[in-house]
Amino acid sequence: MRIHTMIATAALALCVSASMASAETITAVHNGGTVGAAQHEAFFVPFAEARGHTVVEDTFNQELAKLRSQIETGNLIWDVVSVTAINEATACEEGLLERVDWAAILDLEDFKGAGGFGECGVPNNLVSGGLVYDADVIDPADAPRTWADFWNVEKWPGKRGMLYRAEQTLEVALMADGVPPQDVMTVLSSDGGVERAFAKLEELKPHIMWWKSGDESMQNILSGEVVMTFAWNGRVATANKSNDRNLKIVFDAGHVSGSQYFAIMKGAPKLDLAKELILFSSSPKAQAQYSRLIDYAPANAEAFDLLTEAELATLPRDHLDKASFQNGQLYLNFWLDNGDTLLQRFLRFAAQ
Amino acid sequence: MSTTTTLADTGQVPRRLRTLVRRAERQHFSRMLALMAPSVVFVALFFVVPIALFLFRSVDNAEIPKYMPRTVAEIGQWHADDLPPEPVFRALAEDLIALKGQPEAAVLGRRLNYAVPGFRGLVTRTVRRLPAAVPHSAIDTLADIDARWLDPTYWATLKQQSGRMTDFYLLSAMDLQRGTDGAITRVDETQAIFLSLYGRTLYTSVGVTVICLLIGYPVAAVMATAGPAAANWLLMLVLVPFWTSLLVRTTAWVVLLQTEGLVNKVLIYLGVISEPLSLMFNTAGVFIAMVHVLLPYMILPLYSVMKGVSPVHLRAASSLGAPPITVFRTVYLPLTIPGIAAGCTLVFVLAVGFYVTPALVGGPGDQMIGYFIAYFTNSAVNWGLASALGAFLIVVIAAIYLVLGKVVGFDKLKVR
Repeated sequence: MRIHTMIATAALALCVSASMASAETITAVHNGGTVGAAQHEAFFVPFAEARGHTVVEDTFNQELAKLRSQIETGNLIWDVVSVTAINEATACEEGLLERVDWAAILDLEDFKGAGGFGECGVPNNLVSGGLVYDADVIDPADAPRTWADFWNVEKWPGKRGMLYRAEQTLEVALMADGVPPQDVMTVLSSDGGVERAFAKLEELKPHIMWWKSGDESMQNILSGEVVMTFAWNGRVATANKSNDRNLKIVFDAGHVSGSQYFAIMKGAPKLDLAKELILFSSSPKAQAQYSRLIDYAPANAEAFDLLTEAELATLPRDHLDKASFQNGQLYLNFWLDNGDTLLQRFLRFAAQ
Repeated sequence: MSTTTTLADTGQVPRRLRTLVRRAERQHFSRMLALMAPSVVFVALFFVVPIALFLFRSVDNAEIPKYMPRTVAEIGQWHADDLPPEPVFRALAEDLIALKGQPEAAVLGRRLNYAVPGFRGLVTRTVRRLPAAVPHSAIDTLADIDARWLDPTYWATLKQQSGRMTDFYLLSAMDLQRGTDGAITRVDETQAIFLSLYGRTLYTSVGVTVICLLIGYPVAAVMATAGPAAANWLLMLVLVPFWTSLLVRTTAWVVLLQTEGLVNKVLIYLGVISEPLSLMFNTAGVFIAMVHVLLPYMILPLYSVMKGVSPVHLRAASSLGAPPITVFRTVYLPLTIPGIAAGCTLVFVLAVGFYVTPALVGGPGDQMIGYFIAYFTNSAVNWGLASALGAFLIVVIAAIYLVLGKVVGFDKLKVR
């Protein structure tokens, strides 16, 4: 009896390994948390099912050192990585990512709204940081409409939630100072732009409650610690759904939007399979599914057509002209040149 | 007296005995060495060598001499007055042309950007726009590509950073910089953050250590004197949080301490306070959470030392008429000093390296130096600065250990 079971098991194992011969294994990293869960469900699982491959997943919190150490030691553990625009540019320049001519494979027109292709990566979804308030606390008829309103603590008393980081926060400060969203980077990178942004932040500083993670931003507004907050739209939609709340995001006030990119590690042995996975994840169907799960806008504009009006409510589709984009040469060069200096300056400013 | 002289001076037996004893000792010593060898090799390979290598990065200036060999060779001729002569410009153009299309161009740019913000952009832009062959006038070509090449600041920085070693990172970690004239000055006020971070790190760590000692000492004493059943329960109470992940415990404090959190609700319900206290995103939150996380590290060494204190000594002191205070001061306290020293050292050293807890429950004024070491290591990939910051931390801890050793006595710092 036992012998028979063993033989049967061995035979089964042989069959399985034979059928897996054409299937390959690829390692893809996501951003962890709710974003990672959505990437898992919308991209990696359907890809594995549809193509019969195995996708091994790992989490990457944008520590460039992890990419660099893999390239330097020649010990690649990842194939496909999900990176921010700034890390896509840096890692690409420093030879950590594979250069791919995505325009030859995908239609650039569809991705223009998300900033177009990088030299190494494909935009996958658009994260938008905007002005958020709780419609159960502030009557929408009398709600803040601009970032200047966000600064108005006389009319709307209470704490304000803001991101504990120079990047994005300085952009918001300039919008509050009356700079149109599309000119924010031009003003910030010109002489006196940084001073202007810090001066504006100084006005609101006593009322600011800084947040360091997306979870924290939602916790603070849901618990009423802050009356308004800067927050990322995917977080807002998730918080509304899971807590049955009525948070509103005011895209028209101006928002800071940036793409997350998928890219391939330099020298990845499974280059073709990696490309296949990225193409799959860039398809309108997968993109729409991702937006349903996490409510970040799809990078592929065609995916918008697959979404219902309700699903579009927290996506910035009709407000992309109100964005300060986190891509393009101006943005990338400014933050790559000044990022560390401004972070230090910001942290000192916040601590005082 | 006389017999000893005879034994030492003459006779085969004592000399043979001496040789035998020496041989036995040598054998014993080499056996000991053989037994210790694996752990010594392990510590050296996986602890001392990596730390030494990483600390070396705080003075290492590999990138510039490696990627700009011609410029480094030429720039010595220039005396940092006005602008460098044509050969220096030419050397730089040749160096940058060699980096065309190479990822090293970006690495070099990143390195130079640490010294002058904007240098990265200047380098990558110039590399991209330079023609493939060195032009007849390098000055004109470079100035055409970017007028910043006519600004002596960039050249002076290159000259200053052209050596194989650099003091740049160590100075930066102390909020200092070396001006183009070679003088050391404070960095711009808006950039100076590290000294205050060291100060805050030390202040927080010392504070947490003292509070842990004040809370932990009575707990450990009760545990050491309680009956076996009660002691086991108390030990469990200390150990369960000790086994729980740091992140879970810190997040639990977030839930408890927030304005609408449990602590405030209970206090308001009991009528102790009318307005919620702000317990989070400030120094109070950091102290509460850190003390909780580190308390077991204080209690356990104290407990193990107190277990060894014989109650007979205390009884003897009492029976000789000493009041409880005197018994504690002259008998119990001195006997438990090794536990205090071990617990304090452990808690302090761990507290100095904390950064997750301050980041989660602290305010913008509560960040500690560990946060920046992690940031520069992982995200900014500025390993020179990360290791310089770490080097100073090691120096500070070593200094404190030495001072503590001088005051308390090194023999007492050992856990027995």
